Amino acid sequence: MARARDGDLDAYELLVARHTALACRTAALLGAGDDAEDVVQEAFVKAYRKLRHFRGESQFRPWLLAIVANEARNLQRARRRRDALALRAAARAEQPNGTGDLPADTAVATERRMALVTALRALDDRDREVLVCRYLLDLSEAETAQTLGWRLGTVKSRTARALVKLRTRLGPGLASEVPHG
Amino acid sequence: MAERRADLELVEELRELGRRLETPAPDMTHAVRARLAQPPTASTRFAAVPRRWLVAAAAVVVALAIALVPPSRAAVAHAVTGLLRFAGVEVRQGQPSPAVSPSPLPSLRSAGLDEARRRARFTVGVPARLGIPDDVQIADPAPDGAPRVVSLLYRGGTVRLDEFDGRLDVAFMKTAVTKQWVDVHGVPGLWFPTPHGVTYVDRRGVTHEETSRLAGSTLIWSDGTVTYRLEGALSLDEATGIAISVY
Repeated sequence: MARARDGDLDAYELLVARHTALACRTAALLGAGDDAEDVVQEAFVKAYRKLRHFRGESQFRPWLLAIVANEARNLQRARRRRDALALRAAARAEQPNGTGDLPADTAVATERRMALVTALRALDDRDREVLVCRYLLDLSEAETAQTLGWRLGTVKSRTARALVKLRTRLGPGLASEVPHG
Repeated sequence: MAERRADLELVEELRELGRRLETPAPDMTHAVRARLAQPPTASTRFAAVPRRWLVAAAAVVVALAIALVPPSRAAVAHAVTGLLRFAGVEVRQGQPSPAVSPSPLPSLRSAGLDEARRRARFTVGVPARLGIPDDVQIADPAPDGAPRVVSLLYRGGTVRLDEFDGRLDVAFMKTAVTKQWVDVHGVPGLWFPTPHGVTYVDRRGVTHEETSRLAGSTLIWSDGTVTYRLEGALSLDEATGIAISVY
């Protein structure tokens, strides 16, 4: 990190390699769709130019994600592309490829996941964003706050509210049907 | 209370959904580097590097990578800098520089095999060849207590099997002079025959230099989800035998 800050491109390359996967997931889930890779590349370029303002690697990750989130939102606003989340999840859900699937992973579970994706899509942007960051990307509350540019208290309250909304849309239980979609 | 439980279930479902999402994450180190090498003013949104150039660069990298790694999507080689990523392990070429007195992994504690299996979000495999471990350790837990790394210890701790979900982030960084690709019952594995450096990289991507230590011979392989890291005074044949006995 220190070497990267001093302009060592080899050192920065290491940071890029390490954070690419999560950055791409973040971009895709926050609405960048097929342009996720471009968004992340752009974010890495921007991040490098501001690197000297940051002290440690622990700060780098949420800060990079914040740039990614911003870029993804701008793109979404410009092009009204909102299908990334649904499309990718659906594609994955419909093709259990046998690598990570447990025997218990039945058609019911697949259906449930589809319902979950549909319900997530139907949420307000902000509700969806906070759930994506906290749970699909598994970020902490503090990292979520930094990524989305919200206050910590907002992240907490919004998460709770968004969960209730999502639950209401889904209905109870594992084998429930989608109320509307 | 019922609502609370329903929320917890829903959270677990969302996490599971997140784990199942497959987002392509191509190696973009070259593309980023190429753009950084240009003057800052040339940065026009997404247009600074012509796509054709990127495709050409990617083709070169792929060609080099194929020469070095087996044809596995799990293995991404960075042929130019000697940096290699394989199933959540980053390998750098060079002499290791271990810490003077290495620390254990963050928040390490002993747990029963049952507890580790219950808490971990991946399937904790046990090698039949070694049987029930002397000790099981869990480390670097998420806020909900799910450990990032589960270690099974055998033969008084001289043989250890680290397990983690290798699909998302890098968890270990290795600095080695020698390594070789081997076949572990049809899946590619990476074998480090001589002592080499191993450093833990936590869930935030932070390298814990204080954990840097000299590791004995090590075999790394993945079942597509879980990455296994088997370390100890073992020959390649012994290590492979243990690897294919994991259930």
